Amino acid sequence: MIMIKETIVIKNENGLHALPASRFVKLADTYSSNVSITKDGIEVNGKSIMGILTLACEKGSKVILKCEGRDEKEAMKALRLILEGQD
Amino acid sequence: MAREKILKGIAVSRGIARGTVFVYETERIEVFQTPIHPVYLDDESARFERALDKTKRELVNIQERINQEIGQDFAQFLDAQILMLDDDAINKEVKKRIIEKKKNAEFVFHQVMNEYAEKLGASKDTYLKERVADIWDVGTRVLRNLLGLTHSSVVDIPEGSIIAAHDISPSEAALINPKTTLGIATEVGGRTSHTAITARALEIPAVLGIAGLMDKIKNGEKVIIDGDRGILVKNPKAGRIHFYENAKKKDQELQKELSPYCEMPSRTRDGRHIDISANIEFFSEYTHAKKYGAEGIGLFRTEFLYLTRRGTPTEEEQYRVYNALAARMKPNPVIIRTYDLGGDKIFSDYHEANPFLGWRAIRVCMDDLDFFKSQLRAILRASVNKNVKIMFPMISTYEEIKRVNLIFGKVKKELHEKNIPFDEDIQFGIMVETPSAAIMSSHLAHQVDFFSIGSNDLTQYTLAVDRGNEKISQLFDHFHPAVLNLIKRVIDSGHESHIWVGLCGELAADPIAIPLLIGLGIDELSMNPSSIPRAKMVLRAITIAQCEGIAETVLGFRTALEVKKYLRRQLSSILPNIDKVIP
Repeated sequence: MIMIKETIVIKNENGLHALPASRFVKLADTYSSNVSITKDGIEVNGKSIMGILTLACEKGSKVILKCEGRDEKEAMKALRLILEGQD
Repeated sequence: MAREKILKGIAVSRGIARGTVFVYETERIEVFQTPIHPVYLDDESARFERALDKTKRELVNIQERINQEIGQDFAQFLDAQILMLDDDAINKEVKKRIIEKKKNAEFVFHQVMNEYAEKLGASKDTYLKERVADIWDVGTRVLRNLLGLTHSSVVDIPEGSIIAAHDISPSEAALINPKTTLGIATEVGGRTSHTAITARALEIPAVLGIAGLMDKIKNGEKVIIDGDRGILVKNPKAGRIHFYENAKKKDQELQKELSPYCEMPSRTRDGRHIDISANIEFFSEYTHAKKYGAEGIGLFRTEFLYLTRRGTPTEEEQYRVYNALAARMKPNPVIIRTYDLGGDKIFSDYHEANPFLGWRAIRVCMDDLDFFKSQLRAILRASVNKNVKIMFPMISTYEEIKRVNLIFGKVKKELHEKNIPFDEDIQFGIMVETPSAAIMSSHLAHQVDFFSIGSNDLTQYTLAVDRGNEKISQLFDHFHPAVLNLIKRVIDSGHESHIWVGLCGELAADPIAIPLLIGLGIDELSMNPSSIPRAKMVLRAITIAQCEGIAETVLGFRTALEVKKYLRRQLSSILPNIDKVIP
């Protein structure tokens, strides 16, 4: 299995705050792939709301989204939309 | 006999309540550190799991309650809390440390939550910083369940209680039971707090922001909450009780007398239909609008979206609220007013000498186009319901409308390009609340689909009176002939251009003003939901010919006093029992 990763700029007006973070986690949970977000060298589990919130992703910050598993492509496609505020 | 004492606060939910104080305290939880024998480590993990499950069930119940009673959009803040309980990272970390450190679950869980709270609290982003409160709201719930503490909850308080608290957390406010809770008083919080929203939704009288409340009040004391004047009376004297009992009785009789009017059509005696709609501030108030017989929402103030969350709402959050309101009011119209925010509300370090003459409402929005456009997009997307109209506050010049219209057109074009549907025929209106807009209304009318006269600000600007200033507040009078002449001018200008004209200030709800406004030709009156039955009662008693005669006479008067005396006399002769329904 290969892992895919993409660099994404957070476009949500308030950064990745509680509501988009909740949506992200709920959606991430529907995929069997492992999902992680990395910001400033700190990597957290993409299925952990506390992890994501503690990254404090403000609008404009750069993060790396990694998906690894059978459905990694679908996961990447859907999850990046939330980070970009387009869901 | 204990001395009577009056405590002042902020009136957030109207009505009078007399009852017994129930002090609601969130006592501090002491977390002890105990070693666990290796044999029992699995049991300790299992105990932690059970506490999480129990907490989750509690939160899901609360969420369902909010969904039913206030509306889905207000239950969303619990999503994040429920996800925190499901969070595998926390779950695993706690279990790992229980085994490694051989310590009790309370201690370990508290430690883990503390670490997360610290990380979040260190964020530069104020919005994320405030999520620390969510962590502790849910964390405390888990700790209580671990410790087997019974919740000091607002759910099971004795009947006839007045809740007194320092503050009530959002998840707890949602549990307030209107059967047992007669009134609410807190030390902190204002009109936009969750407690205030809940109190209004349940129609429980509430006074918040009472300084030093918890030091001044004890369990079991007798108090009166006056949600109209924003006061709490402790140990009320017999005379005071009598006064309030009387007021309450009168209010109940009045409601009984007026309630049949909720369902009646809003027509004059000779059959002219006048739209009577509701001014609302919060989504949840649409239920009141319907209950009191509003034919639509004449003014949906959107500021709460900004103020309750202390920050810019996303387009999605705005859209969800507008769409939910439009869908629930269908096919009746919903007029959404864009943000009427002062610069000081948005930027905490921004102050100006004359905020009412300063950088506010449309002026702020035009300087922050990203922010403004996200609201326009959200409103346009909600307009697929076909009953949404958009309205802009504080317009004072012709160029302003042209510029707003240009931006509105651009946003529509962008939506077109993205194939996002909206109502192509959405009505575009302005509030007429500055004298300059009223004077130039014949020109402005060519640019818009409707006018809504904001009589409160129009009065303040026309008479140069700040009504918040107690020294001169007696000069504030919306019956001043200068104001009435401007209102006439706006209505006439609108009708010449074949657009409709409404009025959404307090004047609309004043029974003696209704015959006058109808005589001047007003098409719509928008007011507080609870004033609607009384307005219909007046409306159904009068004829257009009577109103026109009244308007003509009034326009000849020189003082507000003459106007009011005359209007009162006229209305009494048409409706002899009107004195009963005028406060």
